[in-house]
Amino acid sequence: EVQAAALAERGEDITPAQDRGVLKIIKRPGSEDESPMIGDKVYVHYKGKLANGKKFDSSRDRNEPFVFSLGKGQVIKAWDIGVATMKKGEICYLLCKPEYAYGSAGSAPKIPSNATLFFEASNASELAREDLFEDGGIIRRIKRKGEGYSNPNEGATVEIHLEGFCGGTRFDCKDVKFVVGEGEDHDIPIGIDKALEKMQRGEQCILYLGPRYGFGEAGKPKYGIQANAELVYEVTLKSFEKAKESWEMDTKEKLEQAAIVKEKGTMYFKEGKYLQAVIQYGKIVSWLEMEYGLSEKESKASDSFLLAAFLNLAMCYLKLREYTKAVECCDKALGLDQDNEKGLYRRGEARLLMNEFELAKCDFQKVLEVNPQNKAAKSQISVCQKKTKEHNERDRRIYANMFTKFAERDAK
Amino acid sequence: MAVDELQAIIQRCQILEEADFKGEDFNLFQVAGQKCLETGYAAQLLEVIQNEKNKVIVKNMGWNLISPLVRCIFMYKHEDDKREHCLKILDQLAQLCNPKELFLSLLEQIEQTSGEQVCQTVMLLLQPLQTVLLKLQNKKAYSVGLSLAMIMNQLTPLPVPYTKQQIQEDKFGLCQCCNAVVDFAKPFVNEIVKNTEESSEYNDMELKEELLKFCMKSLKYPLLTAQLEQIEGIEEHPFRHFATEIIVSAIKINHKLIPLVFLHRKSRGPQWENQDFADIERKNSADSLACLSYLMFVQHFGIDCFPVVFSPSYLLQCNMTHIEVLLKRTEESMLSKGLDLFESCLLRMEDDGLLHQYLEFRDFINVPQDLVKIMTLCPIEHLRKKSLNILQLFIDKFDTEGKYTLFRCLLKTSNHAGVEGYIIKNIKDQIHLSLTKACDNTWFTGLHLISLLDLVLLLPEGAETDLLQNSDRIMASLNLLRYLVITDCESDNRTGVWTMLAKIEQNFLKPLHVGLNMSKAHYEAEIKSKKENRREAHSSNTVCSVTVSGEKVPAMTTEMQLQVLHSALFTFDLIESVLARVEELIELKIKGVMDDNS
Repeated sequence: EVQAAALAERGEDITPAQDRGVLKIIKRPGSEDESPMIGDKVYVHYKGKLANGKKFDSSRDRNEPFVFSLGKGQVIKAWDIGVATMKKGEICYLLCKPEYAYGSAGSAPKIPSNATLFFEASNASELAREDLFEDGGIIRRIKRKGEGYSNPNEGATVEIHLEGFCGGTRFDCKDVKFVVGEGEDHDIPIGIDKALEKMQRGEQCILYLGPRYGFGEAGKPKYGIQANAELVYEVTLKSFEKAKESWEMDTKEKLEQAAIVKEKGTMYFKEGKYLQAVIQYGKIVSWLEMEYGLSEKESKASDSFLLAAFLNLAMCYLKLREYTKAVECCDKALGLDQDNEKGLYRRGEARLLMNEFELAKCDFQKVLEVNPQNKAAKSQISVCQKKTKEHNERDRRIYANMFTKFAERDAK
Repeated sequence: MAVDELQAIIQRCQILEEADFKGEDFNLFQVAGQKCLETGYAAQLLEVIQNEKNKVIVKNMGWNLISPLVRCIFMYKHEDDKREHCLKILDQLAQLCNPKELFLSLLEQIEQTSGEQVCQTVMLLLQPLQTVLLKLQNKKAYSVGLSLAMIMNQLTPLPVPYTKQQIQEDKFGLCQCCNAVVDFAKPFVNEIVKNTEESSEYNDMELKEELLKFCMKSLKYPLLTAQLEQIEGIEEHPFRHFATEIIVSAIKINHKLIPLVFLHRKSRGPQWENQDFADIERKNSADSLACLSYLMFVQHFGIDCFPVVFSPSYLLQCNMTHIEVLLKRTEESMLSKGLDLFESCLLRMEDDGLLHQYLEFRDFINVPQDLVKIMTLCPIEHLRKKSLNILQLFIDKFDTEGKYTLFRCLLKTSNHAGVEGYIIKNIKDQIHLSLTKACDNTWFTGLHLISLLDLVLLLPEGAETDLLQNSDRIMASLNLLRYLVITDCESDNRTGVWTMLAKIEQNFLKPLHVGLNMSKAHYEAEIKSKKENRREAHSSNTVCSVTVSGEKVPAMTTEMQLQVLHSALFTFDLIESVLARVEELIELKIKGVMDDNS
């Protein structure tokens, strides 16, 4: 087994600055020619020792390879540099100076200050593709990496080149400039908007979109795309300009923008583009929810926007089947206007769909208190009662034996 | 006589078949048994129960005795023999009765207690409960979950001992009880471990989920509220012990738990094996996860199973959510945990190493604003001080662009003259560094600096600005200006202050003169009128009164009022003198340049 001394003697210096900060010796070369790329998810088994030979960590103790995204600063510098040089299947030794590891601060409780670290690592990656939102919805393969660390934020203006493929046939090819979150206006699916927030200037990549992030159930007749089709896009982010941060805008600006954004949100909602609508309404919340020092007039306007935003967000989340979020939005709406009919009704709907029948019933009853004419609420109450009964039956069957005895006893 | 009644019903039932037991028989047995206990015949009851011939009867009817039994145990003194007998009866019942029925009976008993009785009752019944649960076949996981949930529910209203004295006293028995509960759960945790080792397909999701729910609940109560530092004089700190056990159990149940919990915060949620885990995660788990994070990174519990290759910046990024959750609370126990966690993450980093891009994350902007709220509004002094220290630590860790952006943000959002003054002093320090170091710093010189100084060298409301309220900020700004004028020669003009001079005079210096004159005149007039009024009778037409803790605060005497007015004048004089000095310096420099040029 190679020791730290051997590395110090004949290890290869793999640092860009050539300062011997990270030295490497290959124990067993890898199988493929390709090294991992920035952003790729890599799986590594490793064992780490301090200069005195004491082991401080090992992935084998956890029976799981360690997973991280390469080149993103998630790990110590020595690893971002070192793992990038490891081909699939390769096993190597790394000797890392503190400047490329935990420096003078160390890492309590195991790593002392100014510690040189010794690793034996093996690249156990099967996949080289990056799942952007960890749900299989958008997979990215970077063809050419971009520069810098900055990404477009929501609301940024981007200039891109885009080609769209479905089932192997190209259906779209264009250069386009638009605002992130509003790609829909240019027949661009929401997956592209979301992916752009993780891209860098100059990056060219291939995106595999699942239906939820594509054109969804509506499909895109204009391009001949069926419902729930899987799409492949090649996107180049030529340039972008970030949107203003919330804290850089003053209240007047926020209120002006809120009106514009609310209209946009409503437009998307009417077209059934709920993910896009959520983005627009969400802006109102992030601008105004924590805003202080408003005049009375501004305060009224702000509350009115927030109320509308929360109610509409709740509606969107109901359509998207994210019920917990729908309830949260209703709670906030009711915080502003406690007898709001829509807020109560929508919360009732969400709770019903989460099987919280008692709570749902309370909400619907409150709706009737506010507006006795609301027929929908009446019928929802009976639905709640029906479902509660079904659930009680189920519980009763579980303790059948017990209850029979009790029942018999009580009867005497 | 109670014993006779008992014997009578026993004899009757001994000849019956089990299926023929009637409700009437159950009733008589219970009444007789209860009477025995209450009239002091526990020993006889024990004999009856221990009798082999009565096994079937006890199996079916024994659960009825739990309630009177528990009552009696608490009634008798510790040394009393009868208490011993009762405890033995309890033990026998656990062995002999139908597990399902006894289980419900025990649970019912726990549910009915409240207040001071809770911990005693729980600790008494944990052993029989465990025996019974281990015997259940179906629905074991559900029942274990139900028991733990019920017990924790009963404990939650109890106050958590916080000071050393409270912990040693343990008035309600909570410390002892919590540790007893976690011991109670151990065999079930071990069962999961054993089964997982034996078969990799082992997947009793339900038991895992129920135990995990219990761990998460415990993290929230009592651990989030408890004081978890080592306390001098207390060897075995009960809550530290409890915390260790909880984390050890959680890891045994799902060793992937801890890394999973931290590292996927940006996406929709960790990939739980089961949808119910995801639900646990969402509802109310923010507090539990924050507590877990504190335990791991500050107290180092369970950190052995955490990989040691993450970069400190990434650890900070992952912990910001948890820090934010804790800093948004108002209870001392939670705020101090949040501050400790934040500090611990920051101390792992080198100065100037944190990239400014991190400020694009929402919580990196929210958390310093939370710190500002704490340092200005929190009633607890040591937390205010700590909060300020941590803000400085946070500033120090960022690269230059990060510091710049953070200063801009805090100047715009803090709305507090003291904080603004503190930031302005920081700006001055950064300018000093960039002027004295050889390195090329574009953020605190030139155009960027000018843009920042626009926010600093002005009066927020022009000449009408309340100078007293804003005195901290104004003094800091004047000191900064003085520094710039002295250090940066007009020929160099690296900071750009000389280009801006006209604007500074218009937005800052001139209005400040006007404001000072107005304020001084106003206060001097007030002083004069107060002195004159003093000679007249003391009229008590107070504009408003202040009541604190039900007692009305006495109105300020004229002497006190005059004192306040005088100290205001003093502040104005101070400001004016620095202002004069600054203007003097400016004139000197300009004159110097003009002399050079002529």
